[in-house]
Amino acid sequence: MSVGFIGAGQLAHALVKGFTAAGVIATHRITASSPDTDLPTVSGLRKMGVNLTTSNKEAVNKSDVLFLAVKPHIIPFVLDEIGPDIEDRHLIVSCAAGVTISSIEKKLLQYRTAPKVMRCMTNTPVVVREGATVYATGTHAEVEDGKLLEQLMASVGYCTEVEEDLIDAVTGLSGSGPAYAFTALDALADGGVKMGLPRRLAVRLGAQALLGAAKMLLDSEQHPGQLKDNVCSPGGATIHALHVMESGGFRSLLINAVEASCIRTRELQSLADQERISPAAIKKTTLDKVLQQPGVTSSGVANGNGRTGLSLFNNRNNGMKKKS
Amino acid sequence: MSVGFIGAGQLAHALVRGFAAAGVIATHRITASSPDTDLPTIQQLRKMGVNLTTSNKETVSRSDVLFLAVKPHIIPFVLDEIGPDIEERHLIVSCAAGVTISSIEKKLQLHRAEPKVMRCMTNTPVVVREGATVYATGTHAQVEDGKLLEQLMASVGYCTEVEEDLIDAVTGLSGSGPAYAFTAVDALADGGVKMGLPRRLAVRLGAQALLGAARMLLDSEQHPGQLKDNVCSPGGATIHALHVMESGGFRSLLINAVEASCVRTRELQFLADQEKISPAAIKKTTLNKVMQQSGVTAEVAGVKTRGINMFNTSSPKTNKN
Repeated sequence: MSVGFIGAGQLAHALVKGFTAAGVIATHRITASSPDTDLPTVSGLRKMGVNLTTSNKEAVNKSDVLFLAVKPHIIPFVLDEIGPDIEDRHLIVSCAAGVTISSIEKKLLQYRTAPKVMRCMTNTPVVVREGATVYATGTHAEVEDGKLLEQLMASVGYCTEVEEDLIDAVTGLSGSGPAYAFTALDALADGGVKMGLPRRLAVRLGAQALLGAAKMLLDSEQHPGQLKDNVCSPGGATIHALHVMESGGFRSLLINAVEASCIRTRELQSLADQERISPAAIKKTTLDKVLQQPGVTSSGVANGNGRTGLSLFNNRNNGMKKKS
Repeated sequence: MSVGFIGAGQLAHALVRGFAAAGVIATHRITASSPDTDLPTIQQLRKMGVNLTTSNKETVSRSDVLFLAVKPHIIPFVLDEIGPDIEERHLIVSCAAGVTISSIEKKLQLHRAEPKVMRCMTNTPVVVREGATVYATGTHAQVEDGKLLEQLMASVGYCTEVEEDLIDAVTGLSGSGPAYAFTAVDALADGGVKMGLPRRLAVRLGAQALLGAARMLLDSEQHPGQLKDNVCSPGGATIHALHVMESGGFRSLLINAVEASCVRTRELQFLADQEKISPAAIKKTTLNKVMQQSGVTAEVAGVKTRGINMFNTSSPKTNKN
């Protein structure tokens, strides 16, 4: 089995590092494509033995499972370009926040009658094999496709199938979650340094405390509130600390964060569904690089409608339809 | 080597579970004592094969490494009781927040010239072998004693030696830290549920996200701010979320928490140093149970009518060398 990544940025890099550490796939069976060869992640991937290319079409040809690991607004652009190259064997897995299965299927149905599409939301701790991933299965993907994806993603952390309409909420919680944790750890270390600890020790202890607590929770049937009670001895230091946190509305800030991330995800989805990409959203040099790739024509990229932006959902491009 | 715990509560239970899972010591070589046999942790310790007793003296005589795992205000009380039974082999490891090595040595020196004392601050995730422990070495403890303690505690998580005057800050950070994390996961799960996730999934994803992020930081040389930057794509969902957190002073709340816990720890230390325990701090039934133990007399327990004076230098000494 070969795996391809459209996009060679943070997400592709993290997934490749995780997969290789888990030993689920050899790096020479992985291909990643990006028009931008200056990304720091590109050299990281190259060092790991991944096949790198500037041609998305090449990544498609060399893969069975194809991850779309580009930013959400790039997805339609990519689908237009690779649509003609998708074969029966391909399983398309979109990792783009807010991009619906139906929008992807709609694009690919111009080229194939039954494109196998799945959508997943993962997070960067896949890089240390402690990711949190959920996925939803598209109309034409089979149960075995779900199992294959789950096998891959479970090798790098927790993975479960969900209804697609929960994915935006998952984005707000575990998709963005690591950023909440990094911020918390920076602040906890500041607290430790304020009270006299050297910085390195403070960072270490803070991260270890969070890790240990999270592990306790995952291994326990008990409610987080019960676990919290268990560590608050009467009149002790911890309950004093909790009081100042509650006084500042600590819990509320985290609920706000999950909500804000989820709402923004839905906003991005709505923008994408409008099916117009402003030319301002793509660098001219990037567009040029893509057009220089073998097999890509300007009509395929639907550059014809120059007036109000690039229309990438160009139904007039039906000359490339393949039969299944 | 045998290990004893004075106290059979949350801390003793967590350490025993961790040690047993790590295989560093067999449970039948562990003894734990508590006057209160109703604690839920006692049942669990018994099920694990630990020797349970109501006699602190029995625990002392059966141990080489003796953990003091009782609440800080109980420590002087315990030291008075077991002082006469400490032998040369004993390594006393106090886990009590805010209790200084010197206060412990001072008590034990009524009975031995060179008591081997260490002080550690650990946390409950030792129970899943992901604890965070620091320790400081007392006047008469040797390098080998430090290595022995470090071997035990490193089997259940991170462990490092520190200067004693950092331990209160460690208490505020990693001692209390798990409570901050449990609160955070509870709130994150509430957020997930608000946005439509079932509760179990929300708790699972929240805890997994925290665990993964912490693991990334521990495995990385990069600054937490850099790791945060790496996951904030331009105009994306995450940076929107971070903004609302910052607007609410999220970071400041955590600095406040570490500070409050540390300050309270120092307060507790100060109260303990005053060397008087109000009789209101000990249950009469508990005191009675202790005095019923063989070998404990009212003089040894230092009970006087106007408050219990735990630092009683006037009782006749059984001075050992």
